[in-house]
Amino acid sequence: MTQIADVAEGTAIGRVGVVGAGTMGIGIAIVCARVGHPVVICDLRSETVEAGAEKVERFLDNSVTKGKLEPSARDRALRDLTASSDLADLEGCDVVIEAVFEEIRVKRDLLGQLDEILSPEALVHSNTSTLSVTDIAAGSRLPERVVGTHYCNPAPLMQLVELVRGQRTDPTALTRSREFLIGLEKRPVTCADLPGFIVNRFLVPFENDCIRALETGLGTVESIDRAVTAGLGYPMGTFRLLDIVGLDIHKAVSLSLYDQLKDPRFAPPPLVERMISAGQLGRKVGSGFYEYEDAGLLGA
Amino acid sequence: MTVVDAGQIGKAAVIGAGTMGAGIANVCASAGIDVVIFDVERIRVQAALDRIGTFLAKSVERGKLSDEAVAEIKAHLHVAEDLADLAGVEVVFEAVSEDFEVKCRVIAEFGEAAPEDAIIASNTSANPITELATAVPAPERFAGMHFFNPAQLMPLVEVVGALQTADHTLEVLEQLAVRLGKEPVRAKDRPGFLLNRLLMPYLNQAIQEYDDGLADAADLDLALELGLGYPVGPLRLLDMIGLDVHMHATSAAWEQARDPHLVAPPLLRRMVAAGRLGDKSGAGFRR
Repeated sequence: MTQIADVAEGTAIGRVGVVGAGTMGIGIAIVCARVGHPVVICDLRSETVEAGAEKVERFLDNSVTKGKLEPSARDRALRDLTASSDLADLEGCDVVIEAVFEEIRVKRDLLGQLDEILSPEALVHSNTSTLSVTDIAAGSRLPERVVGTHYCNPAPLMQLVELVRGQRTDPTALTRSREFLIGLEKRPVTCADLPGFIVNRFLVPFENDCIRALETGLGTVESIDRAVTAGLGYPMGTFRLLDIVGLDIHKAVSLSLYDQLKDPRFAPPPLVERMISAGQLGRKVGSGFYEYEDAGLLGA
Repeated sequence: MTVVDAGQIGKAAVIGAGTMGAGIANVCASAGIDVVIFDVERIRVQAALDRIGTFLAKSVERGKLSDEAVAEIKAHLHVAEDLADLAGVEVVFEAVSEDFEVKCRVIAEFGEAAPEDAIIASNTSANPITELATAVPAPERFAGMHFFNPAQLMPLVEVVGALQTADHTLEVLEQLAVRLGKEPVRAKDRPGFLLNRLLMPYLNQAIQEYDDGLADAADLDLALELGLGYPVGPLRLLDMIGLDVHMHATSAAWEQARDPHLVAPPLLRRMVAAGRLGDKSGAGFRR
């Protein structure tokens, strides 16, 4: 098995498995492959996994073109990349990162299956933004090895990874995971298994407060965005950001957090519902809090 | 004569030579406006001038200002001797301590002594503008003009009308803010105005989540800095603002709004009680 030289002996993580060849799964596979881990991408849909492997290849080619990756590193990454539609090919992986559909049943079942394939020492990382890591880990006979890892989108570009400690996560698994993420050139933060982790737990109620301020006439779309950018130095106004996220997505995330927390700051204000009814979903449709002329170019 | 546009403003008064007063005086002088600075303690005015001098010297070091420009800015700054120095002033900035009684006394006295067409602008962040307006002889020429700290660097200015404020007054203040190189927004006379109304629940949440063990202080800040591109995370920001300042602001807003998200969290009260006020005291959330 390939060993990564700079990982402490005994905790070395070589082969990495990624389950789920969606946007996050592919992004994570790229992150792992480019630092030298042999990667197995697994998705039950064989066309998806083939297309995913091609995306990894294109991304790494681009990185080489931009001078961000050595051609030899790309060649090795692609040589050591396996695309499979059979979970059994994950055998021998030191860590498996699952990035399948955000559905508790799907994730739990997958963890149960991984128990049959992986050695007991292997780590299981579950990439989720809205589900409880403890709840997901309950699908495994070895919940001690399950750690939540919330990568930010796009995973190859964003440094942050929220490392989530489930109720039964073993401290050693957490430490090993942190070292693994640092090896991926990420900056992990450790947080408790609470709804929204850190980023969404702070962002979503702040966004709802801004929407409520607009509803109640405290400010306009422009004045609130200006207050946030000029007053707090945020890179983008709240309404610009919400338009990019999409009002439908914002509502779903808000409701999910509100259901778990019952704090009114998390409840999507009525204006969100009105805008969705009116088809003002944000940038992807050309109309949200702002109007966009280039919607056709961006696509959905 | 009524001031018709902010371009005509040639002389301003700043009352209160604390951090905000010094910053506002600096910003006005940099825009070519003569400034007379008042404080009940003359020694504080000198200290304010020294602080402005330090700030300007740093700007020279960074290549942002020439020595000539600094000399010109300094020439616009004057220590007030007495109320007679208000002669010819078109705008008065009140930046005394956040104490309602003190502010009322000051704006009443200066409102009386200033030229009758002068605009009086309060830099309060925690007092209702409409209630302060009752203290001045001409409330239609009174408004809130809320700079953020440090005033020299922060682009946002909230222009807040009292119920009694004339539209014209707000327009002039908004133009003036632009002339000072700021980005003004109109805000309503509600607790926390606009930005602090949005910021305070977020800061209170950060204190409570930290106390509840969501993450350690460094990780909590780092997540929001890296994940959302915020220049500083909430706990670092609280240390910079001053925990006592935040506690005062959020408590004042809670008094008026009774919104539970504005309640000062227990840990905040404990830290203020223990003298851990953030950067200025050498101990806070991040140090």
